[in-house]
Amino acid sequence: MAQVAIVKLLWRIVDLIVGGVFVWTGAIKAFDPIRFASDIDNYKILPWAIAVGLAFYLPWLEIFCGIALILRRFYLGGLSILAGLISVFVIATVTAKVRGLDITCGCFGHASKKWNFSTHLGLDLVLFGLVIFLLFAWGRNFTASQR
Amino acid sequence: MRQALILVALAFLPGIGQAIYFRDKVSWQLPVPASEMVTVVQARAWGENAIWIDARPDEEFARDHVPGALSLNEDRWNELLPQFLAVWSPEKKIVVYCSSQSCNASREVAHRLRNQAQPPMQNVFVLEGGWEEWLKSR
Repeated sequence: MAQVAIVKLLWRIVDLIVGGVFVWTGAIKAFDPIRFASDIDNYKILPWAIAVGLAFYLPWLEIFCGIALILRRFYLGGLSILAGLISVFVIATVTAKVRGLDITCGCFGHASKKWNFSTHLGLDLVLFGLVIFLLFAWGRNFTASQR
Repeated sequence: MRQALILVALAFLPGIGQAIYFRDKVSWQLPVPASEMVTVVQARAWGENAIWIDARPDEEFARDHVPGALSLNEDRWNELLPQFLAVWSPEKKIVVYCSSQSCNASREVAHRLRNQAQPPMQNVFVLEGGWEEWLKSR
């Protein structure tokens, strides 16, 4: 019983950490969308117009998903989107590295511009791991509640 | 799935609002509006009326740079800004360059000079093709 309580507490703490991180990083990017557009453009994957559109949209999607985790409303939807977003960030970061581009942006927007490739990738993977843990925890809890 | 779609749709609302708010501040056609770009030939023609800013990292600036250019990069912004302000005057044009057409540093530095420098600066231009283009024309 105590073990279940500890797991639930851990689950809640990870919820708050991951949700808080995405609200924070989303807010940083939403505060300066032009600079974020420039960061997206730096990956040289998308046309500028799409980079601008994403720069206006993605930060808010991150914020809403982060809030969904914190409030546990639309929880699975928020987790699924975040898992998809982080996957895209990781793929974009790795392909940029392979193509020899000097990338100054990752999950953490412009605040992370002085981080090197390994730090970017490491943090993206840690976040991805936490999101997968939350998905797993949700699945376990959901299954248990169906019994 | 339904939850994800609702979140995706909800995020459009502030995103669209922000796009409308910033409609005059960002070009959807070019990373830098054409009016804020300058070619090597044009910039050279400004002669003494232009201040050249090298936005590349210190080691690249040390290796070689446009004659008379000042180093001003984001890594040492606070340290390097005073030497630029010492020679700057409002009527002078500022030409910012980085390594090539694909680099980002010149846009970043130009953006900061226009929006964050005290006083904010107007005549700030990004050099088309950057240092690579300068080398070709040398």
